[in-house]
Amino acid sequence: MHKFIAMVGTNSTESTNRKLLQYMQSHFADQAEIELMEIKDLPIFNKPEDKKVPALAQSMADKISDADGVIISTPEYDHSAPAVLMNALEWLSFYIHPLVDKPVMIIGASYGSLGTSRAQAHLRQILDSPELRARIMPSSEFLLGHSLQAFDDAGNLVDEQKVAKLDGLFADFQVFVEITQKLTHANAANKQEVRDLDWDKL
Amino acid sequence: MKLVGIAGSVEDHSYNRTLLKFIANHFSDMVDVEILDIQDVPMFNQSDDQTDGEAVQYLKRKIEGADGVIIATPEHNHTITAALKSVIEWLSFKIHPMSGKPVMIVGASYYDQGSSRAQLNLRQILESPGVDAVVMPGNEFLLGDVKQAFDDQHNLKDDRTISFLKETLGKFIKFVKVINSMNKKADDDDWQSEDLNATGSVPTTIKGLNMHAADWVDQATAKTNAVTGNTYVRLDCGVLTVDQLNYFLNSMPMELTFVDANNQFLYYNHQTDAKNMSASRKPAQVGNPLADCHPKRAIPHVKQAIHILRTGKTDLFKLPVPSNGDKCDMHYYQAMHNDKGEFQGVNEFVLDILPIVKYYLGLTGQKLVKDPNAKTDAVSGASSKATTPKPDEVSGASADTDEAPVEKSEAPAVDEVSGASAND
Ligand SMILES: Cc1cc2nc3c(=O)[nH]c(=O)nc-3n(C[C@H](O)[C@H](O)[C@H](O)COP(=O)(O)O)c2cc1C
Ligand SMILES: Cc1cc2nc3c(=O)[nH]c(=O)nc-3n(C[C@H](O)[C@H](O)[C@H](O)COP(=O)(O)O)c2cc1C
Repeated sequence: MHKFIAMVGTNSTESTNRKLLQYMQSHFADQAEIELMEIKDLPIFNKPEDKKVPALAQSMADKISDADGVIISTPEYDHSAPAVLMNALEWLSFYIHPLVDKPVMIIGASYGSLGTSRAQAHLRQILDSPELRARIMPSSEFLLGHSLQAFDDAGNLVDEQKVAKLDGLFADFQVFVEITQKLTHANAANKQEVRDLDWDKL
Repeated sequence: MKLVGIAGSVEDHSYNRTLLKFIANHFSDMVDVEILDIQDVPMFNQSDDQTDGEAVQYLKRKIEGADGVIIATPEHNHTITAALKSVIEWLSFKIHPMSGKPVMIVGASYYDQGSSRAQLNLRQILESPGVDAVVMPGNEFLLGDVKQAFDDQHNLKDDRTISFLKETLGKFIKFVKVINSMNKKADDDDWQSEDLNATGSVPTTIKGLNMHAADWVDQATAKTNAVTGNTYVRLDCGVLTVDQLNYFLNSMPMELTFVDANNQFLYYNHQTDAKNMSASRKPAQVGNPLADCHPKRAIPHVKQAIHILRTGKTDLFKLPVPSNGDKCDMHYYQAMHNDKGEFQGVNEFVLDILPIVKYYLGLTGQKLVKDPNAKTDAVSGASSKATTPKPDEVSGASADTDEAPVEKSEAPAVDEVSGASAND
């Protein structure tokens, strides 16, 4: 069974994105092991000169390294991913590189009707940058609009169509993880390249 | 024109901050740029609203008071920094100080692409409805390979880069004027709300007294048990008795007037009789609301003047009042703020600068000559008859006064704007 880290893309105590990931955790319990990861306790990234990352960032990185893939659920703030999520990704690309070649599935929930389409595009662009180099599942998007009305009291998605779509995407993601694990030829080179990325040397 | 600059970095050492400082220093003759700090802004959190905290309120006030904003963005992972994004989120959550603000984006990065992707992202973010800023289209100032870009003095090395930056800034200044004149209609009438009758109050207002009374100072003293004589007062950087404070203030080589944020005239340094003063005041006027101190026709000008200081359009404006070449009185109106940057009133100081100029000329063996290119002769100064006076000659009110309401009307005669000059 695949093991996935599910990153909650917000520090908000009440979050429909967290709810969505919790839903996936129980809904797919028989297909995969999903562990939620919170990002709110990381300090604001300030590119420390001693190049040390906080212990928390290191332990998050270790968990990601151990996982078969990562699911990120992002809210949308100002047509883009929230600062707090960008912040986590800055730490996770600063002399530690757990996301290189890691399969990532992007999903998102927002109050409005568009369901984070712009934030997801933004997140894709970030994860694609040379410091992160994640393997983002192509041509897939799970947009949960009107997220405040999307769940019942038990935390289940009410919209059948949305459930079917999520089932399909998740099955695809499992296949994508398998395929990615076979795409190993450039792995070592990719890892080396990010390790060689040293801003001091520029 | 007054701009604020934000560097999207919380690092101790930031090239983007260096770039902003260079802009502020090198182009100070074109525009006034104040650099704002974002170091103390907490990470945005929807469930822990800190909009009312000092760090966010400081940015709000500064941005609202500025004509435009320059943002210098680093690039991290092909986007802007979380630190900058967090600031923008606070400024789009419960408050929207960027709404309608002209913004220029610049950016520095270690790579040769020089923050191009971050800049594109930032543009999209700033134009989202919650932020609603007006980003200058087209022009991109990208400073790639930034580690090689500055010399030891933190100046840009490359002349072509400097002239391109200058050109971009020049375009932005025009852009700001256009956007703000579009925004202006609504703002235009704002100054009307200035209450020169001081019917409201500020926390320091001494309540329950007749502000118009000739013995207001005595009444206020009794009411507050104000200390006098040889009682010590702890000041910011010193301790003096009230007497010593009086010696000090009364020996200032200028006339000082204090008007509080409620538009009440509270103090002047009483050096001489009203008739010998450049801007005459009488002891009995102290305590008056500003409306008492000015003829009716002057009221709109006074309102406009106070308003641009209160709203931070400018912190200081100047009115020269030259007379016959033997005197050049300068009337300065300086906004006062507390340590949170909140407006606390106006410090008006009046002094004759001609002796200083003459002294300097004597000292350096120079003399004044007419500038054949001057649009107005320097001596005719503030009189409303001056032919199309250049703004910075009539009232220093900083370069932006061509936008300021005071300037739009004909230049006010000096006693019309002056804080509390005698009515007679
Ligand atoms: C500062 C701020 C900006 C926002 N901007 C957007 C936006 O651009 N587009 C959008 O669909 N929702 C926006 N929203 C509302 C979000 O949809 C909503 O807060 C969030 O995505 C829901 O996620 P959550 O339930 O996990 O917190 C914004 C909310 C905040 C606080
Ligand atoms: C985590 C991280 C990611 C970075 N990603 C990029 C990048 O994608 N593109 C780029 O041009 N520079 C990147 N850089 C280097 C930046 O150019 C540099 O940190 C910053 O822009 C310099 O600006 P500052 O001195 O004002 O902080 C990255 C740096 C860090 C620490």
